[in-house]
Amino acid sequence: MALVIFYLLSFLTVVAAILMVTSRNIFHSALYLAAVLFGVAGIFVLLNSYFLAGIQVLIYIGAVIVLTIFVINLTHKITGADVPQFNKQIVPAFVVSLLSTVLIILAVLKTDWFHRMQGGNVAIVDNTALIGKQFLTDFIIPFEVISVLLLAALIGAIVLVAKDRGDEK
Amino acid sequence: MITLGHYVVLSAILFGIGIFGILTRRNAIGILMSLELMFNAVNINMVSFSKFFTPEGVYGELFAIFIIAVAAAESVLGLAIILAIYRKKQTVNADEMNIMKY
Repeated sequence: MALVIFYLLSFLTVVAAILMVTSRNIFHSALYLAAVLFGVAGIFVLLNSYFLAGIQVLIYIGAVIVLTIFVINLTHKITGADVPQFNKQIVPAFVVSLLSTVLIILAVLKTDWFHRMQGGNVAIVDNTALIGKQFLTDFIIPFEVISVLLLAALIGAIVLVAKDRGDEK
Repeated sequence: MITLGHYVVLSAILFGIGIFGILTRRNAIGILMSLELMFNAVNINMVSFSKFFTPEGVYGELFAIFIIAVAAAESVLGLAIILAIYRKKQTVNADEMNIMKY
């Protein structure tokens, strides 16, 4: 049963991803990216990490996709359907990405994972509380560093996009 | 029974599609979106390896949360740079951005 759900989710995700990179309209591309992120959130649910699935929907679909669509709309005259959306290296790029994917898949299929594994897929437990505890005990320094990074990104984005004061006066 | 290989193969396919998108898109926003796709492939890897190798810990998920936070910051800064370039040069195509080229 879980395998059927996994294949359905993977099919949705991969098809949406292929449509995303081949779509000529960049706006459709953003919507397909939202579908991909939903599929990945479903994969996280299959992996019993509900907190991560929630974060995926909240941050990626709720914030990043909306921000991307805002920027697409702000620059819309350039990204119309009549402008060519792909550069001339499409054939070598296809070869490179296909070869690297096949390489990774071959490496995965040839590796014997089972005798290194400590446990199989564990029973369904809600590990949100454990994530919270880990964040405030063992991972307190990276947690604080990431908050400083987000603050820096916020200020940097405002500085980059805000108009110079000298221009207005 | 879903094995670890299923997740890693799915992640590899998503990663390859992301590489293809980054290499072929002209639009810089499209490149950023393909980058998000690759981040998601890596996140699937992180969480599945953590689930199968250390089932009692949550280290992969913690790393995935850090990746999501850094990806959000990166996306915000990238879009801000794209908007600033659009204001100056009236273009968002990556092959027309050469103002730092000597």
